[in-house]
Amino acid sequence: MIPTRFEYVAPRTAADVVAALDGESRLLAGGTWVVPEMGRAESRPRRVVDLRRAGLATISVEGSRLRLGAMCTYSDLLSSEDVTRHAPLLRTMASGVTGGSALRNQATIGGSVAAARPQSDVPATLVALRADAVVAGPAGSRRVPTAELFLGAGRTTLAVDEVITGFDLPSERMSGHGYVKLKRGGSSWPIVTAAALLRLDDDGRCETAHLVLGGVEAVPMTVDLTIMLGRPLGDQELDVAAARTVAALSAPWTDVLAPGDYRAAVAAPAARRALAMARANVGVTEGERHGRRPDCP
Amino acid sequence: MDDDLTALEITVNGKRRSATVDRRELLIEALRNRFGVTGPKIGCLTGDCGACTVRLDGLITKSCLRIAVAEDGAEIETLESMSTNGLTGLQESFWDNNAFQCGYCLSGMLFAAEDLLDHNPTPDEDEIRQAISGNLCRCTGYDAIVTAIKRYAERVAESDRRQ
Amino acid sequence: MEVGLRTAGKSVGRPVRKHDGDAYLTANATYTGDIVLPGTVYAALVRAPLAHALIRSVSTAAAEGATGVIAVVTGEDMIPWCDEIPHGLDAGHLGGHHSAVFPLAVEKVVYAGEPIAAVVATSEADAHAACLMVEVDYEPLPVLLDVESALAADAPILYPAWAENVLIEGHVGNDDFAEVARTAPHVLEGELRTHRGTAAPMEPRTYLADWDAGRQHLTLYASTQNPHVLRTVLAAAMRLREDQIHVVAPKVGGSFGLKMYGSREDFIAPVLARMVGRPVSWVEERAASLLPAAREQVLSYRVAFDDDGGLLALDVEALTDHGAAAPTHGWAMAYVGALSTGLGYAIEHCHVHYRVVVTNKAPWSGTKPFGKDGATLLLERIMERVAAATGVDAGTVRRRNFVAPSAFPYRHTSGLELDSGDYAAALDQTLEILSHERLRADQARLRAQGRYLGIGLGFELMPESADIPGGFVAAYDTSTVRMSPSGRVSVLTGVTSPGTGSDTGICQLVADELGVALDTVSVVQGDTDTCPYGFGNISSRSLVTGGNAAVLAARDVADKIRAAARALLRADYDEPVLIEDGIARLTRDPSRSVSVVEAARAVYTRSYELELDVEPHLESTRTYRPSNIREVPDALGRMQTYTTYPYAVHASVVEVDVETGVVTLLRHVATHDCGTVVNPLMVDGQVTGGVVMGLGAAFSEELVFDDDGIPLTTGFKTYLLPRAVDVPRVELGHLCTPAPGTPLGAKGVGEAGFAGALAAAFNAVNDAVAPLGARLDRTPLSPIAIMRALREARR
Ligand SMILES: Cc1cc2nc3c(=O)[nH]c(=O)nc-3n(C[C@H](O)[C@H](O)[C@H](O)COP(=O)(O)OP(=O)(O)OC[C@H]3O[C@@H](n4cnc5c(N)ncnc54)[C@H](O)[C@@H]3O)c2cc1C
Ligand code: FES
Ligand code: FES
Repeated sequence: MIPTRFEYVAPRTAADVVAALDGESRLLAGGTWVVPEMGRAESRPRRVVDLRRAGLATISVEGSRLRLGAMCTYSDLLSSEDVTRHAPLLRTMASGVTGGSALRNQATIGGSVAAARPQSDVPATLVALRADAVVAGPAGSRRVPTAELFLGAGRTTLAVDEVITGFDLPSERMSGHGYVKLKRGGSSWPIVTAAALLRLDDDGRCETAHLVLGGVEAVPMTVDLTIMLGRPLGDQELDVAAARTVAALSAPWTDVLAPGDYRAAVAAPAARRALAMARANVGVTEGERHGRRPDCP
Repeated sequence: MDDDLTALEITVNGKRRSATVDRRELLIEALRNRFGVTGPKIGCLTGDCGACTVRLDGLITKSCLRIAVAEDGAEIETLESMSTNGLTGLQESFWDNNAFQCGYCLSGMLFAAEDLLDHNPTPDEDEIRQAISGNLCRCTGYDAIVTAIKRYAERVAESDRRQ
Repeated sequence: MEVGLRTAGKSVGRPVRKHDGDAYLTANATYTGDIVLPGTVYAALVRAPLAHALIRSVSTAAAEGATGVIAVVTGEDMIPWCDEIPHGLDAGHLGGHHSAVFPLAVEKVVYAGEPIAAVVATSEADAHAACLMVEVDYEPLPVLLDVESALAADAPILYPAWAENVLIEGHVGNDDFAEVARTAPHVLEGELRTHRGTAAPMEPRTYLADWDAGRQHLTLYASTQNPHVLRTVLAAAMRLREDQIHVVAPKVGGSFGLKMYGSREDFIAPVLARMVGRPVSWVEERAASLLPAAREQVLSYRVAFDDDGGLLALDVEALTDHGAAAPTHGWAMAYVGALSTGLGYAIEHCHVHYRVVVTNKAPWSGTKPFGKDGATLLLERIMERVAAATGVDAGTVRRRNFVAPSAFPYRHTSGLELDSGDYAAALDQTLEILSHERLRADQARLRAQGRYLGIGLGFELMPESADIPGGFVAAYDTSTVRMSPSGRVSVLTGVTSPGTGSDTGICQLVADELGVALDTVSVVQGDTDTCPYGFGNISSRSLVTGGNAAVLAARDVADKIRAAARALLRADYDEPVLIEDGIARLTRDPSRSVSVVEAARAVYTRSYELELDVEPHLESTRTYRPSNIREVPDALGRMQTYTTYPYAVHASVVEVDVETGVVTLLRHVATHDCGTVVNPLMVDGQVTGGVVMGLGAAFSEELVFDDDGIPLTTGFKTYLLPRAVDVPRVELGHLCTPAPGTPLGAKGVGEAGFAGALAAAFNAVNDAVAPLGARLDRTPLSPIAIMRALREARR
């Protein structure tokens, strides 16, 4: 039950969506976050702009880039062969989202990014994948690296009259990925997530390495792993990466489920495990990957 | 007040129906208050308990996370539709195995179980636990629900093998 | 009152499925929220945003003018319509303090979320919208959020008339610890802290009240555990006669204590309905239904024991963080905790000093398993510590201290009298299911690899079916059995079933007594106009009280069927008749028989013709009153207030990830004894449900407040209930020692599982981290707490 009154519109194009937006409007994607918020009267928009009919749920591959519509749900990611092939990290991430398939059928990646909850799975994952957000506004469309989108808990660089229409990311076909999520049980939102992507050259040396943690700070935290490049990935290197994770932390996030000191304490093991998993995943075919439970290292 | 009211036309359990709803109403509220179904329940209104689960255009969904007017034209199935030809095998299995006590979670659990079996007819215990973990049950401790789903799936697989 | 012991009949003892399961499966089971009355209006509450404050003024004008609003009612407005809420158990009559609580707060709020005004409107949305427009001017007062600050010498006093922040205190047992300790080989001290949790049934409290101004009559549909008693207290506070009120409890979506009668929430809809003269629906929002609480105690203990781990004396100082005062029985959980401390162990000197402290949180409210959880956890923690101190194996320590089967009846120092059981046998069975020795070997092996497995035991003994002298909690209850001329049987009973299945059990019992098929019997519950006065569903009593009463009543009816059968068969008045499968036949000549239906019809229609020597109706109302309750206090002031004593021995196996504090529950075993099992399906369901609830309490469920006392756990994303993925399949073992005091031999099972699971999990985690020198002395066992303990150990 939503106490406050609002007008409801469901535009057919992104341009019409933008036209409907102003300081008193609220975008509605899957609604899994915004509807309960309106129910608690924490949000009291005058106009609800439903994205569902604006055609933003497509998934496609163009060249070596994967294009995801903002309205893709977790289920869409799970059932897409393109995602499995080019960004299996997204698949692993989506398979661990709680709420059951009912929730995964409904909640969107655009909504998760725009909501910018520090604990959410999607933001740090997309940052690790170096995804650009495609943002439509009154002046047209712009691209923003997701890493630059987040300003703080619940805050992004999006203007009130802007909408994310999709994401555009490089294929990670050749990488191994790791995803580790620590939480307090099946009812719990993530406490800390670590997304890792590794590519090795033919000699087993690290060609690219990306590690982004969610939940440890107000925004996704990227750990600079440049020093690992060109080196073989032994346990020692993973220890170095874990140490860099700790060094990268400045202001650990605190919420009711876990205080900052806990997040800080588990960031390094989470990072290390994600990298270890990515290392083990390098060169693993999609079929093999499917048979595994990626979330238990 | 009247400007908040609007017409909503949806198919509920196979029947095309229309009703006047308040724009602020959630789908679960419209279903219960305007379309007279009682199978889906309200347990939290935050998407966490799954008591409000229904099938919408073929996919299961938590109907408390939807605004009713946004669903104009949708096809919705609730617990009421499940037993139009008598109890289903899955329902019988829930009953036989005492998979519900107070019954408040029952509708959601049945939909979650159906959805699982649609995608994976021979789930193992872990897969069943995963599949019903979007739904809360405070009474049973879940074992009976898991058993009910497992035994039903095994029975179906067994009879498929025989055929 | 001997009814004779029985273990299995045609349906008793069998895994019969829920008698009305098809109604649930087809969406035909009606819950309060499913009932629609024409003209219904909706209530919503304005709740205090501060934990302690004076209400300077409430401005309702804006809300009154809002769309759809019918009435805005403040605490003051309601006073002429509703007196102070009657107490379930008034601490003021028992040496503590009385508190006056009204449905809506008056003058002052004492916890965040306390209702201070109500809006009634034509839609739920409009009612809630108008709540946002009620302006309240508060004068903040200092808040008390824990027992230590509430007991500090300079603490502000929450209820000034009391001059202290202690609602009530008392002593249970004999206070002679110091004397015993002087000569005892060992003495240990410690402190255990439990955290705040709540019942959280899936259906929130739901009410639909219909006031008929013409008849001056109230009909209340309520998700309540105790419809009759609710009517009694509603009548008292609303100054109505009981016959002006009809309470109906339709299907209830779980209760676990939350829906016990007499909370302020029970009065909201009825009083508003009378004020506005229209049916009023009120459903508690989820955030509010997570306010009522249980647990959160500080238990300081001293224990004296010998070299073999035999306990010589125990002394406990139990501080309860009750939250604000309330009219419910909530505080009695502290008393029951004291009564059951040490129960099941033969400790000659056992003393508990309990103090119930008020703070600025929402009050304690009866919650499964009603305070026995803290006592269980404490003793099971102590057993482990004694084992560690003496080097005796933890199972052996328990075995040494268990009350032996030969010692029954055994009177505990608190006065409770244990009647039966074999605790050591339950322990043996649990260890066997566990393959305990092999598991210990695995544990050692894994530790060498840096993996930390923990195994923990938990013995629970739950006094059940309580009686409170002078209170509306009784060890007895009443059932009517009625057979129609066509042989259909209805049982009308004073007990209720919030899904637990006692109604199915009652059907089984009655079907067997009457020798009829199960599906000819139906149960009517939860209706004050049709059912005999009764006390509803609390304290695992429904089957023991309502079931035994139904058995007695069914026997009366069966006797008449026999009389009619003899008359129809022209047999002698003393000819034995056996009723089975719907047929009454002469025991000595089974070829001579009539159907039960024929006999029933004859009772109603052929009384003169057959010269029947019985009153020509097939109905009996009987009360089963257990014989083992004694409420005349002995010289030490002790009473025996519980009917049955079911118990269980649990074992939890966990793995602790010492890098993250994350616990994986690998196994949980429980061997349970609830005496005669009427329906194993239902019993297993109760135990398993209780275990998972106890595991939730152990690991993840916690009510959290900020520094100002504002609740932060307002939904299921923060109050973390266990889900199917969090728990292993519960492995059950069974023992059966029938309760000698009761006819069926059945013991309560409604609170089973919780306390032992909590204790076993607690001990398992401690066992896992012990090699690292870490120790947890508080719940919950969150990854955060575990990491803290590990960090402290490293220091
Ligand atoms: C039961 C449950 C379980 C959950 N479990 C998890 C979990 O395990 N992990 C996790 O990370 N999250 C979880 N969530 C959160 C959920 O994933 C996010 O709420 C969801 O992804 C948000 O998507 P949505 O489409 O529902 O967003 P909405 O609620 O529709 O919108 C969220 C916000 O984003 C804005 N918005 C939406 N789309 C756009 C857009 N395209 N451009 C600009 N702004 C936009 C909206 O205006 C709103 O402010 C859970 C939620 C629930 C209810
Ligand atoms: S009511 Fe919809 S998920 Fe709980
Ligand atoms: S049966 Fe009561 S919540 Fe599942």
